[in-house]
Amino acid sequence: MVRLIRMKDKMRRGAKKGLYIGAPALLLATLLAGCATPPPVSDTADYQAYEQQNDPLEPTNRVFYNVNDKIDRYAFKPLAQGYVDITTQPIRNHVGNFVTNIGEPARLLNFMASGKPRDAGTSLVRFLINSTVGIGGIFDPATALGYPETDTDFGLTLAEWGVPAGPYLYLPIFGPSGARDVLNLPVEFFATPMEAAPASAALSDFGYAETGVHLVNTRAEYIQPIDQIQATALDPYATFRSLYRQSLDSQLQQIDKADTPTPPDWVMRPAQ
Amino acid sequence: MQRRRYFLSATAALPMLGLFAGAAQAQAVAPDAAKSFIQQSGQQLVTIVNSSASDSQKADQLRQLVDQIVAVDQVGDYVLGRYLNVATPAQHTRFLAAFHQLLSYNITYQIKAYQGITFTVNGASTMGNDTVVDTTITSPGKAPVDVGWAVDEVGGTPKIVDVIVAGTSLRITTRNDYASVITDNGGQVSALLSAMKSQIAKISGG
Repeated sequence: MVRLIRMKDKMRRGAKKGLYIGAPALLLATLLAGCATPPPVSDTADYQAYEQQNDPLEPTNRVFYNVNDKIDRYAFKPLAQGYVDITTQPIRNHVGNFVTNIGEPARLLNFMASGKPRDAGTSLVRFLINSTVGIGGIFDPATALGYPETDTDFGLTLAEWGVPAGPYLYLPIFGPSGARDVLNLPVEFFATPMEAAPASAALSDFGYAETGVHLVNTRAEYIQPIDQIQATALDPYATFRSLYRQSLDSQLQQIDKADTPTPPDWVMRPAQ
Repeated sequence: MQRRRYFLSATAALPMLGLFAGAAQAQAVAPDAAKSFIQQSGQQLVTIVNSSASDSQKADQLRQLVDQIVAVDQVGDYVLGRYLNVATPAQHTRFLAAFHQLLSYNITYQIKAYQGITFTVNGASTMGNDTVVDTTITSPGKAPVDVGWAVDEVGGTPKIVDVIVAGTSLRITTRNDYASVITDNGGQVSALLSAMKSQIAKISGG
């Protein structure tokens, strides 16, 4: 599941159960951290490369990467493969839509916190439309109506506030993260509509089921690309690290791009 | 979810024509010219992938096509990055040879997964020194993938220098991958060459 958990999106669902495993393990990782040995500052090029890589805990990160890789190979991937065998792509799309919709209120809050009114409005409209017309989020009519999804999370909100990404972290269970993005875990743990409802056994069961289905559904989408990277990358760990960081940068750009304000009708426009 | 799709798309693009990178001395190509170049190249690619030829025949055809439409040497130099100055001329030559080989093996590896693909060119825009042509690639049973192809003029003709999927660049990803191998081995380019060699052996053996 490892790399599959690379997207924040996955962390969000996994947080439910994984937090209890991840937090002490992270602490342990920090305490026991095998730190990479930086090259001498006098070796300018190598030192710059080391700084740019920003992965001082690389030895520890790689240990967790290998652990997650084993878990994935022997548990999650076979499970995902079985899931693919009994479902079709449209079904998996509907599951994806459903999970996305449940995450919409959290995105709304994050967009508000990061001062992105247009994105926040889109998120709100999406949640309202997809929860009703989209039958509880199974369908995504909002996108067709001109409200496409833009993803965000608390890590990206912190980035909007100017918090630097910090060193790269590879977490047990959750996968790629960073000193800033790891703060997602506690926030996302509470930022679901289920937390707002009165506690009940049925709700807890729903939460666990939703988490499980989401993880399997997501892993199923990654089967082919992950296999490909593992087969062709010289260093899959570094490849995933690079993709994770590029993906974050790209997402920040996407958030800004989608937040273009629309002038109201009464604004004077130049004659065409 | 969008992020997940981003990453998914990014990784899904690797198989398409993975591991191309940019040419330093390339020139910008007009958007319309880049579009028609990608339209033609994409059509050739789809024809080969969807043909009834054997995997090894397809691999040969794809290797030839890639040499025609991708600036493989420039890509290789970009991927090698600053280690281009560290590598000896002999190492550089060996690197480019291995890079060509690895590229064709990676494509061969992917052929089976991409039967029945279709290819749509959406538009083109200028990004920095490159002209990026946006396309959508659809294959049966898979979600459509939006792929951007960075095109530059190399040696007087347009060539592909990068594959971009939702903001993730394959030339950067590959450069980071290769750089990691070198830095983990004390800055030795020879370590990268060994890793590439064993990768080629592994894939061709599998």
